[in-house]
Amino acid sequence: MLLRADQFCSTLVLLWALPWVGPQVGIAPTTAEAAEIPPEQVEFFEKKIRPVLVEHCYACHSAEAAEIEGGLLLDNAAAMRKGGDSGPLFVPGEPATSRLLTAMRYDDETLQMPPDEKLPDQVLADFRQWVEWGAPDPRTGAALAPADVIAARAANHWAFRPPQTAERPPVRQQTWPVTDIDYLVLARMEAAGLTPAPQADRYVLGRRLYFDLTGLPPTMAQVSAFLADDRAEAYTRLVDQLLDSQQFGERWARHWLDVARFADTKGYVFTADRNYPHAYKYRDWVISAINQDMPYDQFLKWQLAADKLSSEGDRSQLAAMGFLTLGRRFINNQHDIIDDRIDVVFRGTMGLTVGCARCHDHKYDPLSMSDYYAMYGVFQSSREQQDDDLPLRLVDKDRPANARIFLRGNPANRGDPVPRRYLSFFAGKQAEPFQQGSGRLELAEAIVDPRNPLTARVLVNRVWGHLFGRGLVRTASDFGMRSEPPVQQDVLDHLAATFMRDGWSLKRLIRGIVLSSVYRQQSTASDAAMQADPDNELLSHTRRRRLDFEAMRDAWLAVSGQLDGAVGGESARIAGETPSRRRTLYAFIDRQNLPGVFRTFDFASPDTHTPQRLQTTVPQQALFLMNNRFSLDAAVALAQQVPGDGDPHRRIKDFYAAIFARAPSEEELALGRQFVAARSSESVDHGPWQFGYGHIEGAERAAVVFHRLPHFTGDTWQGGPERPDPKLGWALVTAAGGHPGNDQDHAAIRRWVAPRAGIITVAGKLKHPSDQGDGVRGRVISSRQGAVGEWTAANRSVDTSVASLNVQPGDCVDFVVDCRTGPNHDSFQWQVTIAAMAPPGADGEAAPEMWRSEAGFRGPAPPGLTAWARYAQTLMMTNEFIMLD
Amino acid sequence: MSAASAFASAPLSRRALLARSGMGLGALALGDLLGGPGQAAVGNPLLPKEPHFPVKAKHVIHLFMNGGPSQVDTFDPKPELQKRGGEELPDGNLKTERPTGALYPSPYKFQKFGESGIEVSEIFPHVAECVDELAIIRSMHADVPNHEPSLMLMNCGDARLIRPSVGSWLTYGLGTENQNLPAFVAMCPGGYPIQESQNWQAGFLPGIYQGTHVDTKHRQIEQLIENIKNDRIPRSQQRAQLDLLATLNQQHLEARQHDVQLEARIQSFELAYRMQAEASEAFDVAREPQHILDMYGPGTQARQILMARRLVERGVRYVQVWHGAGQPWDSHDDIEVNHRRLAKQCDQAIGALIKDLRQRGLLDETLILWGGEFGRTPVVEMPKKGSNQGKINGRDHNHWGFTVWMAGGGVRGGTVYGATDEFGFKAVEDRVHVHDLHATLMRLMGFDHERFTYRYAGRDFRLTDVHGKVIDALIA
Repeated sequence: MLLRADQFCSTLVLLWALPWVGPQVGIAPTTAEAAEIPPEQVEFFEKKIRPVLVEHCYACHSAEAAEIEGGLLLDNAAAMRKGGDSGPLFVPGEPATSRLLTAMRYDDETLQMPPDEKLPDQVLADFRQWVEWGAPDPRTGAALAPADVIAARAANHWAFRPPQTAERPPVRQQTWPVTDIDYLVLARMEAAGLTPAPQADRYVLGRRLYFDLTGLPPTMAQVSAFLADDRAEAYTRLVDQLLDSQQFGERWARHWLDVARFADTKGYVFTADRNYPHAYKYRDWVISAINQDMPYDQFLKWQLAADKLSSEGDRSQLAAMGFLTLGRRFINNQHDIIDDRIDVVFRGTMGLTVGCARCHDHKYDPLSMSDYYAMYGVFQSSREQQDDDLPLRLVDKDRPANARIFLRGNPANRGDPVPRRYLSFFAGKQAEPFQQGSGRLELAEAIVDPRNPLTARVLVNRVWGHLFGRGLVRTASDFGMRSEPPVQQDVLDHLAATFMRDGWSLKRLIRGIVLSSVYRQQSTASDAAMQADPDNELLSHTRRRRLDFEAMRDAWLAVSGQLDGAVGGESARIAGETPSRRRTLYAFIDRQNLPGVFRTFDFASPDTHTPQRLQTTVPQQALFLMNNRFSLDAAVALAQQVPGDGDPHRRIKDFYAAIFARAPSEEELALGRQFVAARSSESVDHGPWQFGYGHIEGAERAAVVFHRLPHFTGDTWQGGPERPDPKLGWALVTAAGGHPGNDQDHAAIRRWVAPRAGIITVAGKLKHPSDQGDGVRGRVISSRQGAVGEWTAANRSVDTSVASLNVQPGDCVDFVVDCRTGPNHDSFQWQVTIAAMAPPGADGEAAPEMWRSEAGFRGPAPPGLTAWARYAQTLMMTNEFIMLD
Repeated sequence: MSAASAFASAPLSRRALLARSGMGLGALALGDLLGGPGQAAVGNPLLPKEPHFPVKAKHVIHLFMNGGPSQVDTFDPKPELQKRGGEELPDGNLKTERPTGALYPSPYKFQKFGESGIEVSEIFPHVAECVDELAIIRSMHADVPNHEPSLMLMNCGDARLIRPSVGSWLTYGLGTENQNLPAFVAMCPGGYPIQESQNWQAGFLPGIYQGTHVDTKHRQIEQLIENIKNDRIPRSQQRAQLDLLATLNQQHLEARQHDVQLEARIQSFELAYRMQAEASEAFDVAREPQHILDMYGPGTQARQILMARRLVERGVRYVQVWHGAGQPWDSHDDIEVNHRRLAKQCDQAIGALIKDLRQRGLLDETLILWGGEFGRTPVVEMPKKGSNQGKINGRDHNHWGFTVWMAGGGVRGGTVYGATDEFGFKAVEDRVHVHDLHATLMRLMGFDHERFTYRYAGRDFRLTDVHGKVIDALIA
């Protein structure tokens, strides 16, 4: 349970921080005084004053307070005399000027304490009396500074003490545990009267492993091989096989890119070029490092100080520095760029919110402004170097320099210089100034020092979160004082300690976890577990998870046979006209204008470091899968990929094999058959406009012979790729107009097909913009009434209104343009608006329906989906496909 | 039993109900579609629910002037400020985000309007005509002078932690009257405000209560709502797809008890399907008659505010209308030109909205809230490298005092509540914290904010945390 006091006080911090206007006094010594306090005053204090302080003030103003407000502590006499950020509370013996009494009286609206309610008048009178007596206070001890209080508390904070390995505790169910962590988890479950969920079946386990380790679904062949492997170590063999695959590095690189707030662009900058052209080389470096199982300590060191570690001429690791340099550019504000780097380093590697100390000492954690500006100095002493073929990298400046504290974070208001050094609390007794250049390498060494209590824990927790859907510590990038000790702290600590002991091997860590019985449980909770532990703190089952955006998109591409599995290389756009089919981790990330689909599926924000992704369920996700071109194309591809042999049963089985890597049940077969056999005559409405050529016949009543133009260029319908087309000549239709063909048999025609009955009017202008040639003739022909308008436009424009045409559904109104005598200089514009006239007696409120030719212009209708493609799409939208058991 | 507690236990009782009725979720969803009230009464977390108190207000339109409109230039006239331009404040300036200087009078004139005689700035002439409908709170205050935490506070009741937004709370508590449209719509032309979708997040509430973002820069429905149309599968065939999907998902669910995620995902497809049909019509302002279009005027603001009316008319619970992407009202410089321009973009449409809702009999049941995340200083912002281009003609953020107003929805019109100091810097009289505004808004919507809770991680959470008092004087 959270302590509520910290929250109800938070709004009043500023009130206490107001300028103090009373007389200044020094801190009076108290121990000597204490002895001299008359007994009746001691009794008065104990009966009237101390209980009020304890009950109404300590929640925010004691060494025990979750958050110390206004820098004010009331724990002992010295602390009370000292006062808080706004100065002393009173001058002993002078109640009239006492800030304490003012606050308690509630006279000043900006200074009211305690904040929730004014205390009774009798209490106020007591305090007044007490101050008048000179505030006799028997409580001894030195006045503590809030920073000392925080440091003292921090010394006991669970995450700031080194992680220890754990002994295997005794358990009753001896057959279940396999690994050390199984014993730890099981002991806790048994203490709560719970039992582990049964092990998930082989099919589920295989699928879980494939997605967790490679981010891709297993194929039918892979699943079959695993199911058929009856050797005892089949599961272990699969784990090792997947850890060795290239796809492992791709999957886990993306997890790290969330930490590294990776993107291909700089965000908003003044200059035109917003791209980081070599960002992908950092991604490639991460993939490769993970696939080689580079020890995590080295992995971090390269990313912070590759410039210092690389031997002369060796450029192979320099791309690692993209970790620091690929952040947002903040319109090139250096302070913000450095702040971003401090943030990504400390939240990313140690789970510390050092950035909070930019403007004031950290409210909860032992992090001071001095710490922040010590780091600031490190980054300020590094300069950026742009090579032709690498992401931006940092190198030390020739003359590294310490930074001065920016008072209240304001660069214009500098305080004392702070030596470049490691965080003082974590450095032990004395944080020695860094000696080597900027100090970046020394910083990296401090972060990966095995005595660092945080680095391994934070990484282990992230890994756990990826494998279980939620970290053991809920705040994956804040292990500070506000983070509660995890229920399974011994598991976290044991894994962290062994991780370091075993050489910081990520693969070994992951291997250990996925081989555990905890990981292998099924994801359905027992009723008992639901009752006793609805949040599954005790890990008595695994969590069912929605595939994240990358795994989902990759899975759709993979099962439909479209996936381009090339490893590494440049980023590729996955939205737009020609979307890439590469794995989603290679998607071009434009941090300023991230396509909506990323957000819809809870992609990591590329703006700042992302501790953990959300898992939302919103209708926009459904709309994407139902309607987006990506999923429709995948469905079509799958249906083509799995063509069948004419037997629907076989084909349904093939679909299930491709998508789920399993056989369908009888019921599923029946449902599938029913679905693909259903007949439907409905087709998609592509709007009332058509684009073609033809001619007019009939002397009595003109009738149009209409042919669709066969070729669309992207903005023009015409006879073929060539212009003029060998057969259809110059005939073409564009959004705004077109060009008639070479003779009267090849007029350009825009056709409108009435979607419903009614009376329409036509408005428009026919324009022949050229100042040469004999112009064009435009005619409007109704399939019901024949010719209803004819105009000639030569080197000018003419009005082409038609009043009141009666139409029935399916009737055509054609806008026919011919070249008169010859096709030279005959480009024309003819935009028309057809408006339905309200039927008599209709509700005058309704707006008339209108069809504008320009708005209605479109290219060829995209091909519809066959029943089989629609079936494939449906299967790929199922919870079975998207949710991982 | 409160609506809140009724739902808090819903997942289990609902499953029990389903088991008893022998009916699957797929069937349920179809029931909803066919509008069968008996079937629809089971299982849908967005069905209308009764709040604690009987009230008229059913919908909210929150006109969010993001960036922070200046109170002394809009709804809080300060004669003393006008007189003493250029003078330093005797006690020094309150701390805001950036350095500030001397008193900077409003460049605009104020004039009394309506029977109430409340003064409104010349930049809001159409809103001024409706002043007798407004309850203007001139004594708002927040916690810090920064956009991000103040946006979070105004929208979610907490500056830092991940908490549900007001719209999410209300759709959770009240459900929605139209199952075919999103219950909670966040409209923002040109993209996102800062803090982006966190402004309409569901937090720890189920994801279904999160706001649906609509970029009202666009006109075509397929651009307003991504993926809303399918040009390759006719509707009846898509229905058949979703029926098969529901059946397969139901079989999948039956083997896996206790999973609200699976159920939520099943429902999301049904909501998506219904959205396709109804959204096209609801968002199409071109269907309005000319005199209504003329009433709202030209431009994006008019279009989206008219859209908001169409949505509440169709039963949408909460519509948040953001002025624009980023923080348009953040006039650190050139405030005279910028505030005039911004007000002109929305004034006519806001006035029209009030009158239009009134003439349709919808004003009583629709609560309009106008305001930003904070206000602006009555003192001028001093130049600072990179922040205001060295001009000395704008105002800094001000959380010490600012103005919001409400109208309709059970609000006492023609009211001014609270006051800032003589210069308009700081709320001094009848101060209203953002938590108090939330408490009052909840009361207008029928909730006792202290009893309207959601149990999460072992604790009962509420929008106002442990704060908030209802301002009775604002309620009719």
